Amino acid sequence: MLIKRTDGKAAKQRLASAYQGLSAGGLDRRAFLRQAGLGGAGLAALGAIPLSTMRPAEAGPMDHSKPVQRVKNICTHCSVGCTVIAEVQNGVWVGQEPAWESPINRGTHCAKGASVRELVHGDRRIKYPMKLVNGQWQRMSWDNAMTEIADKLMETRQKSGPDATFWLGSAKFSNEGAYLYRKFAAFWGTNNVDHQARICHSTTVAGVANTWGYGAQTNSYNDIRNSKTMIIMGGNPAEAHPVSLQHVLSGKEQNRANLIVIDPRFTRTAAHANEYVRIRPGTDIPIIWGMLHHIFANGWEDKEFIRQRVHGMDEIRAECAKWNPAEVERVTGVPGAQLRKVAEMFATQKPATLIWCMGATQKTVGTANVRAFSILLLATGNVGADGTGANIFRGHCNVQGATDFGLDVTTLPAYYGLDANAWRHWSRVWDVSYESMVARFDTPALMGTPGIPTTRYFDAVTLPKDQVQQRDNLKAMVVFGHGGNTVTRMPEAVKGLEALDLLVVADPHPTTFAVLANRKENTYLLPICTQFECTGSRTASNRSVQWGEQVVKPIFESKNDYEAMYRLAGALDKAAEKRNMPIRFQADLFKGIEVKGQEPVAESILREINRGAISTGYTGQSPERLKAHMANQDKFDLVTLRAKADAPAEIKGDFYGLPWPCWGTPEMRHPGTHILYNTNLHVKEGGGTFRARFGVERNGVTLLAEGSYSKGSEITDGYPEFTTAVMQRLGWDAEYTEAERASLARQGGTASWATDLSMGIIRITMEHGVMAYGNAKARAVAWNLPDPVPVHREPIYTPRTDLIAQYPTLPDRRGFRLPHLGQTVQNRSHQVAPNFPIILSSGRLVEYEGGGEETRSNKWLAELQQDMFVEINPRDAAARNIRDGAWVLVSGPEMPAGKATRMKALVTERVGPGVAWMPFHFAGWFMQEDQRSKYPQGTDPIVLGESVNAVTTYGYDPVTFMQETKVTLCQIRAA
Amino acid sequence: MARMKFLLDAERCIECNACVTACKNEHEVPWGINRRRVVTINDGKPGERSISMACMHCTDAPCAAVCPVSCFYTTADAVVLHDKDLCIGCGYCFYACPFGAPQYPRLGNFGSRGKMDKCTFCAGGPQADNTQAEYIQYGSNRLAEGKLPLCAEMCSTKALLAGDGQIIASIYRERVQRRGYGTGAWGWRTAYRETVAI
Amino acid sequence: MKLRILALLAALLMGAAAPAIAQTAPRAPSVAEEMEVQALLRGGSIQGRITIPDEKAATLIQPEGREWREFHNITLAWVGGIAVLGMLAILLVFRMTKGRIPIEGGPSGRTIQRFNTLERANHWMVASCFIILALSGLNLTFGRHILLPIVGPEAFTAISQWGKYAHNFLAFPFTLGLVVMLLIWLKDNIPNGRDIAWFKAGGGLIGNEHLEAGRFNGGQKMVFWITVLGGAVVAVSGYLLVFPFFFTGMEGMQLSHIIHSLLSVLMIAAMLAHIYIGSVGMDGAFDAMGTGQVDLNWAKQHHGLWVQEELAKGRAAAPPPGAKASGAD
Repeated sequence: MLIKRTDGKAAKQRLASAYQGLSAGGLDRRAFLRQAGLGGAGLAALGAIPLSTMRPAEAGPMDHSKPVQRVKNICTHCSVGCTVIAEVQNGVWVGQEPAWESPINRGTHCAKGASVRELVHGDRRIKYPMKLVNGQWQRMSWDNAMTEIADKLMETRQKSGPDATFWLGSAKFSNEGAYLYRKFAAFWGTNNVDHQARICHSTTVAGVANTWGYGAQTNSYNDIRNSKTMIIMGGNPAEAHPVSLQHVLSGKEQNRANLIVIDPRFTRTAAHANEYVRIRPGTDIPIIWGMLHHIFANGWEDKEFIRQRVHGMDEIRAECAKWNPAEVERVTGVPGAQLRKVAEMFATQKPATLIWCMGATQKTVGTANVRAFSILLLATGNVGADGTGANIFRGHCNVQGATDFGLDVTTLPAYYGLDANAWRHWSRVWDVSYESMVARFDTPALMGTPGIPTTRYFDAVTLPKDQVQQRDNLKAMVVFGHGGNTVTRMPEAVKGLEALDLLVVADPHPTTFAVLANRKENTYLLPICTQFECTGSRTASNRSVQWGEQVVKPIFESKNDYEAMYRLAGALDKAAEKRNMPIRFQADLFKGIEVKGQEPVAESILREINRGAISTGYTGQSPERLKAHMANQDKFDLVTLRAKADAPAEIKGDFYGLPWPCWGTPEMRHPGTHILYNTNLHVKEGGGTFRARFGVERNGVTLLAEGSYSKGSEITDGYPEFTTAVMQRLGWDAEYTEAERASLARQGGTASWATDLSMGIIRITMEHGVMAYGNAKARAVAWNLPDPVPVHREPIYTPRTDLIAQYPTLPDRRGFRLPHLGQTVQNRSHQVAPNFPIILSSGRLVEYEGGGEETRSNKWLAELQQDMFVEINPRDAAARNIRDGAWVLVSGPEMPAGKATRMKALVTERVGPGVAWMPFHFAGWFMQEDQRSKYPQGTDPIVLGESVNAVTTYGYDPVTFMQETKVTLCQIRAA
Repeated sequence: MARMKFLLDAERCIECNACVTACKNEHEVPWGINRRRVVTINDGKPGERSISMACMHCTDAPCAAVCPVSCFYTTADAVVLHDKDLCIGCGYCFYACPFGAPQYPRLGNFGSRGKMDKCTFCAGGPQADNTQAEYIQYGSNRLAEGKLPLCAEMCSTKALLAGDGQIIASIYRERVQRRGYGTGAWGWRTAYRETVAI
Repeated sequence: MKLRILALLAALLMGAAAPAIAQTAPRAPSVAEEMEVQALLRGGSIQGRITIPDEKAATLIQPEGREWREFHNITLAWVGGIAVLGMLAILLVFRMTKGRIPIEGGPSGRTIQRFNTLERANHWMVASCFIILALSGLNLTFGRHILLPIVGPEAFTAISQWGKYAHNFLAFPFTLGLVVMLLIWLKDNIPNGRDIAWFKAGGGLIGNEHLEAGRFNGGQKMVFWITVLGGAVVAVSGYLLVFPFFFTGMEGMQLSHIIHSLLSVLMIAAMLAHIYIGSVGMDGAFDAMGTGQVDLNWAKQHHGLWVQEELAKGRAAAPPPGAKASGAD
C-alpha cells in the first residue's frame, strides 16, 4: 500500500510541470491568467501607456515557506456582513480562511462569499479608463478621462442646470463612499442622487420609519436564535442571505421553533419550513389582515402593548373585520384553516419575528405591505424585545449604510430630509455657509424637492420637457457601482440611455449600462476597485458597522471611490474655470477631510460622519472603536452580540459593530443598539422607545406612549423629542458642559437633539435614562401616506380582472417630479390578461447578486448557473408542449410587438400553476440579441442571458417609486 | 489516528453551494471538474432536500477495489487518495463509486479521459506536504496544516461536517436529539456501512 | 496538528452548544437511511436536480456501483480465470492424451491454395489486433495482481496506459477486419446438416470416425460465428465504453462493460483453442494461414468435400498457359 511518498518529489515536479497550462488537466491558474488575463484584454489598446503602470493580477498557490499576512474585510455581496479573512503574500491574495471569530458568520460563507478572492484577480475587470469613439472602446488615461467627463458635465450644467445630471450611487460603496457621494451631489446642487435601495427596501424604510421611527431591521440575524415563531414572507434567505439561515435553522432546532414560509414560490427556504403557505402573488395585505382577523376574533392580540405603545389600532381592527376567511381565500387562494393556524402560532407562541425581503417591498403596494407587516408585529406585541421584531433582510453588503447616508432623492445623510433645517445642519457639519449651498442649486425650491429616482431616470430623459418638474430633462448620468439591468422596463431604458448626452460608468465591471444601448460617443468607463482593495466601514442589515481593511492594492489602473470622486471634483474645478463659471468643488467638498495624495482617507471621512449623523446615532462609531471590534470579534456573544466579560476594556459591554443608534460621542461609550425600541434596557445600555416623530397628539388623542418607558427612565410616561427648549423647561440645561454650551451658542443657541453638534442634549438625556428622540406610540395609522390604513390593491397587471373594481390601484398622480400612472395602466388588464395569462415574478439565485455583472464574471460562480431560465409549473409547461431544459420564448405586455426573450425552461413545482419565476441577475442578451461583442474586449462576463427586466412592466409604489418586479404578466411558448 | 469522514445534515443544507466554490477556490479546480456538488431531491415539492456530495472516503473504497492500476491509497487518517501519476483515466472508479465522486478532464476526442480528479479531503497527494508540485496536481493540503476540509469549514449553515467520524457523529447526534427530528446522515450507510445511532 | 483539528471541531460544536432541552426520541429510522435502503432494494439510484450541466452529477447515490464492483472484482475474475486457465488446461490435457494431430497418411507433398492473400492478410490483421486487445484487456482485470508486483507501479502504469491507447485505437481495425471476414467467408460458413454430424462426432477428435466437411467444418464455422457475432457485440459495447456517456448513462456504461468483458474473456478462451489447433495442435494446419497452401492430404482429411469442389473447379477450368502439374519437376 502506498503511503505518502516524499522521496519521489523531484520526479514529480518534472511530471507536474507537464500539467501546467492545461486548464483542464492540471490545476494551474497562473497559466490560465497568462492566457485569459492581460494578454487577452486588448494588447492592441495598450498603445502609448507603458505596461509598468498596470498592476498585473496574479494568483497562485501559497508559498508555505514565506510569511502570510491575514487581513480582515467584509464580504461584498449580501447584507449579512460575513467577515472574510484574506491571506496575502507578497501583495497577492493567495488564500481565504474561515473567520471563526466573527459572531455573524462564524467562519462560514455562501457560494459567493467563498469565492470572493476571484473578484480581485479580476480576469474580466475593467483595466483602464475607456471611452466610446464611434462605437468602439478606446483606452485613455485617468487624467484625460476626468478632464473630458468634467468638461461635458459642466457643459450640461451650463445648458440645462445641475438637475440635468443624475448621480446614481451604490450600495456597494463603503459608508464613507456613500456619504461622500451624497455630499458630492449636494455640492453639485441636485437631489437627483439615488442608489439600489430604491429598488430594494425603499418601501421598507418608508413603511417602517413611518410606523415606529427608523427604517431598519429592528433586531439582528443572531437574535433570531431567540424566536419561537418565525414567519418569512416574501423572502428567500436560503438563496439571498444563506448565512442568515445558520441563525434561523439553529433557532428553529434549539427552540423547536415554528418556521413558517409564506410565498408564492416553494423556495429553498420553504423546504425547511414547518408550514408553507402558497399565496397568489400580490396578495400580502389580505394575508396579513386575514391573520389579524383571526387574532382579533380570538383575542390573541397583545392588549397591554397596544394600549401603551400603539396608536390607531382600532382602525386596523375595522379593516381586518372585512377580511373573513372566505374573502381571504377568494383573493389569496389560502384556506382559512391554514391561515388560522399560522395566526395562532404567531400571536401565541412568542417571541415571534417577521422576516421579509423584496417579495414584500417590490410592489406597487410595497409601502402598504410593509406597514401591514409592522402592524401585525405591533398587534401581537412582537417589537422591541429579544426574539421579536421586523427582521428585514437587506440586499447588498452596504445598502443599509448607503441608505443611512442619504443616497436617496428625498434626504440628506442620516434621514434629515431636505428642508432648510436639514441643509443648515449639514452646512454646519461641512463648515460651509447655508447660503453657499443654496447658490449651488438651480432654485431654492428644487433644493427642498425630492429628486428623480433610479426607477424612472429614463422617463426623465425621454418624457416631454414640460412633464418633468425641473429646468430640463436629464441629460447626463454618472453611475457608480450599479447594474443597468436591475430596473424594470428595459426597452424604455434603452431609449433613455440613447438620448443621454453623457453616460459615465464607474465600476469594477462594464455593467449592462455600457452595452445595453447603441451609444457611439460620450460614454466613459472608469475602473473602480472593489471594497477588498479599499478601506472603510460598511453597515450590515442588523445595523452593525464593520470595518474592512484593504486586502491588496487596487489592481490594474483601478482607483477606489474616494479617489475617483476627489479627482472628479478637481477636474470639475478646472472645467468650471475654463468656462468662467464661478462654482468650485474640491476645496469645500473635502474641507476637513484628510487627503493623502489624491486619496481621501476613510477614517477622516468617518470622523466627519460621526460629527454630523446624530439623528441616526452614527456618532459613536469612531474608526478606533470599529477597528477594536474587528480585532476582538471572538469576544462577542453569539446570541446577544454583546462583548463578554473577558473582553478588553475598550470594547467591554459593547454590542458587536456598535449597531446604530450608537448615541453621542465615541467617548460616551454608548454600546450601540442591538434591538431597537427595547424598553427592557437602559438607554445607555442600548435600550429605547418608539420615536416621537409625528407630533404629540392627533385629533385630541395622544401620540406619546402611555405608561411605557425604557428601563431606568426618569420620565415614566411618554414624552416628545428633546430640543434646547425642552431641556430648559425641565431644567436640565444646567447640566451642559462649557464646551457644549459654547457649541450651542455657535449654532445660535437653539437646536434639537439631532442638530445639537455638541451632543450635549443626548448626553444629558441619557444620564436621565431618557431617549432624546422622545417616547411615542408606534403608528398603526400613518395619516401622511396615500393609504393611512393599508388596503389591498390588485397588482397593476393582474390576471384577476374580476377583482379590479373592488380593489383598484391608486388613480394616476404625480410624484418625484414625474407623472405616475395607476388606474390608467391597470384598466388595460382586461385586454392584456387573456393574451398574457401567466403571472411573472422574479428573484435571486444564490450564485449571483444584483445585476450579476460581477458574479457572472466570477468563474467559480458562473460555472454553477450557465443559463438564464424561467421556472414553469408542469401543468403550464404541458399545455405549451415545453420540456424541462428546452428553450422557450417569453414575452411581456409592454415589450415591442413581435419581440420576445429567449431562455431555458425549468419545469418545476416550485411555482404554482399560472405562475412563472425568473432570476434577475442576467443580462447581455437583449430580446434575443447577443450583446457580447459590445463589451470592451476581455471584460464580457462569462455568462450572459436575457434580463427579466426586458419583460417586466410599469408599476410604482406611490411613496417611493419602488418598481413592481414581483407581479406582472407574461406569455411563454416553446422556442 | 482519526478516522476522517464527511457527514451531511440535510435538515440544514440549503443548496447555497458554498462548499462547491470554497473547494474550487481553495484548490483552483477547473470548470467541468466538480469535486463537490449539491443535489436537490424532490425539487419544489414537500420533502425537498438538498445534499452536498463529494468523495465520502469510504471504508473498503470501491474505487480502490476496482482500480486496474491500483493507484489508490488510504492515509493514516483513512482518507482515500490516489496517485495521478499512476492513474490511466480508465473510468472504472466512476462506475464503481456510489457517489459519482471521480471526475475526469476531457482531454482528447475519445477515450482519452485525463487523469481522474476527486476530493482529497483537503489532504493533497503523494508528494511532500504543501509543495508546489502537490498543489498543482491535487490542490492544497489543509490536513497537513492542521485544518479541516474548507467545504465543511465554510458551510453556511454548518450542515456539512468533516472530521473524525466519532466526533462528527456525536455533534450530529446531539443536534438531532435537541431538535427532535432528523433526516439521517446521507451516504453513511453506503460509504461506511454504518449509521449514526441516535 | 490533531489538537488543532479537535479545536476546530469544538468550534463546529458551538453550533449545537445551547441550553439543554428535554430529550425526546426522534422519529426513526431516519429518512435518508430509509431512502438509501429502498434505493438499494430497488437497485435504483437516488436522482435529484443540479444546476451544473453535467447530467451525471444529478445522481446522488447509485447503489449499482456496488454490483458492478462485485461483477468486476469477483464474477469477471472468476469467469475470466476459469475460461482462460480452463481452456489452457483442457488443451494441455488434450495435447498430453492425444498428442499432435497428424496428417493421415503423412504429407503428400502436393499443396492446394486454401486462403488467398486478402484472406490471410485480413486474418492476421484481426488476429494481431485481437491479441493486443486481449492482452491489454486482460491486463485491466488481472494485471494488477500479476504484472504489477513484478514490474512495479510506474512501469505497470506505463504499460497499462499504452495498453489503453492500443486497446482504444486497435478497436477500429479490428472491427473493420471483422466486417471483411463476414463478407468474404460468410458463404462458406452457413451452417448445414454436416455440421451437426461433425459436432455429434466431436469434431473427429474423439473417436476415429472420418468426417466429411466443406471448406469449413463445424468447428471452424463455430469459430467464425464466435468471432463475427461475439466480435460485433464486443465491438458495439466497446465503442460505448470508448465514448463514455456519449450514447448512454451510467447503467448503460456498466452494462456495456459487463457484456464487453464477459464476452471478451469467453472469446479469448475460444481463440486459445483456435490458436492451438491452428498451430502446434495439428500438423499442416498452420500452413493454411501461413503460406495459404495446404497439403492435399491434410485438406482431404479435414475438408474432403472442399477438395473435391476445388479439384472439380480445376478440371473444369483450363490450366493457365505454362502451368505445370505440381510435383512435375
